[in-house]
Amino acid sequence: MRLYLKLAWRNLFRNKRRTFIAGTAIGIGLASLIYVDALIIGMEENMIHSATASFLGEGQIHREGFRETFEVEKTIVNLDEITAQLEQEAIVSHFTLRTLNFSMISSPANVSAVSMVGIEPATERHLSQIDEALIEGAYFDGDGGHDIVIGSKLAELLEVGLGDRVVLTAAEAYTCDLAQAMFRISGIYHFNISDMDKAMAFVRLDKAREMLNLMGEAHEIAITFTDTKYDRAKDLPFWSSYSTGGNEALGWMELLPELEAAFELSSFSTWLIGLILFAVVALGIVNTLFMSLYERMFEFGVLRAVGTRPWVLARLILFEAASLAVVSSVLGMILGFIVTYIFAQTGIDYTGIEYAGVTFRDLLYPVMELKQYVYYPIWVFVFTTLIGLYPASFAARLKPAKAMRRSF
Amino acid sequence: MKNDTADNIIVTEGVTKEYSDHGVPVNALRGVDLSIQKGEFTAIVGPSGSGKTTFLNVISGLDNVSGGKVWLNNKLLSSMSGKELSDFRRDNIGFIFQAYNLIPVLTVEENVEYIMLLQGVPRQERHARVEGILDELGLKGFANRLPTKLSGGQQQRVAVARAIVSRPALVLADEPTANLDSKTGIELIDMMRTLNETGGTTFVFSTHDTKIMERARRLVVLKDGQVEKDESHR
Repeated sequence: MRLYLKLAWRNLFRNKRRTFIAGTAIGIGLASLIYVDALIIGMEENMIHSATASFLGEGQIHREGFRETFEVEKTIVNLDEITAQLEQEAIVSHFTLRTLNFSMISSPANVSAVSMVGIEPATERHLSQIDEALIEGAYFDGDGGHDIVIGSKLAELLEVGLGDRVVLTAAEAYTCDLAQAMFRISGIYHFNISDMDKAMAFVRLDKAREMLNLMGEAHEIAITFTDTKYDRAKDLPFWSSYSTGGNEALGWMELLPELEAAFELSSFSTWLIGLILFAVVALGIVNTLFMSLYERMFEFGVLRAVGTRPWVLARLILFEAASLAVVSSVLGMILGFIVTYIFAQTGIDYTGIEYAGVTFRDLLYPVMELKQYVYYPIWVFVFTTLIGLYPASFAARLKPAKAMRRSF
Repeated sequence: MKNDTADNIIVTEGVTKEYSDHGVPVNALRGVDLSIQKGEFTAIVGPSGSGKTTFLNVISGLDNVSGGKVWLNNKLLSSMSGKELSDFRRDNIGFIFQAYNLIPVLTVEENVEYIMLLQGVPRQERHARVEGILDELGLKGFANRLPTKLSGGQQQRVAVARAIVSRPALVLADEPTANLDSKTGIELIDMMRTLNETGGTTFVFSTHDTKIMERARRLVVLKDGQVEKDESHR
């Protein structure tokens, strides 16, 4: 066994240039796989962060049916009990209450339909990035009950600026009477997310409750967890324990099913890219091994002639394939590490681009994981060795006399 | 059946070999009947295309016969499976080829011990036998060299060492001197003959070099795939 390992290893370097080219080709395949995987993980994390950190939160609690109809009356059942319970939850990092309703916003210049969101500025800071996205004004910094924060596109549409007055008109709960209130623009944000920048208006929760006749009530509790593993666990007992009494608690995966579908598509893409890369690599390996085999046909004939059994010869070819895999994997890991590391440091700028309903707000950083340097090289090793079975079986079937036709 | 003498190491009976060369049928051997006794030093001679190589191929089991029978060490080759033939060659036949017959990535020592590795000879014994044969063939000090670092004559001596180190009953050599200058070729044949005389190993080799033929004790002349002449020299 040792002799054949030695023989295979030395044979590999008989034609250094060819081995280098073949090894580099396989290595580039592996490096690409490592990089694509890191990129997709980075993209997923970026998208999750963009989707959940902007406004959504990692989980939400609503009254059942609210998300489908947005009826003002469908407020969370037993709100006080639930908030008290949430305060005791060890896995919950922060939560905030919101009211959500469709309303009309008007300025002297224009009018537009918006989603009026009543928020508690202090707790909302932990759940959304409205304060960070402000481009003008302040984030509810005073006690003014008439402050309103709107998006940049909405301000453009209404032709308003800081300090200008706007009027919100909404239907009251239960009576359906129209309620109107005047607000003064205290802040303008720019998320670079079209829907948020032109169709949302944030007011204080108390003021929204007053307008909507919903004192002490809320439509939504947005939640963040202490660890991302919780919001991705669909079977977490948290969801079922808060999905009772007419309420429903959902994680972002259910709130944004299109995002999960996009991730599934990404996983499939990785698999497909891997398959294509490996198919190309397979042809390279077979070509390399066969070239090497044909060059040494006489030598194989000699080995068979002196009594080497066919399967021993096949094993030698497999060892050569495995040796090539080892060299290629090392090359691929080094190359993959360098490329991924560079982009993991510098980031890739996809900001403003929308994919699966989510707009990238931050630079995309590929995420390096140990599995990329363990599982993928193992795949390459196993795959290369398996591919080696074809030339190995060819070598095993060689007739010594035919192989040595140049002599004996 | 001609395999009736225990002293015979090779017996062929009506051996024919036909093959196709780019669609053209070629009768390489046409009914060869021959017996070679243990301990002989025999040269198979004849012009190019006379069937020398084919004859060596079929008597060693490297190629199948189209017709007739071959016995090697009292075993009918056609009755053996591929694996049995491999093992039989490993244990009974040493081969010397024209050139390029050593594994270039293995050292002289590794090349020589290769067959013993296949045979499962213990490491210490292998090393002792390799050392002994290299010493005997004037290759002391070359054990760790790669074949490419040796002259043609030295390479063929290593090939001889590899062929005889496992102590086979028969050594087959196909034009072993073809790539050597005449002086080195004669030295190689003389060395083979010494091994034949001292160790009793049977040597059968092909050649078309008249100076080499003179060294053989028995000369089998092949022409057009048939034995034209079979004579003992001395």
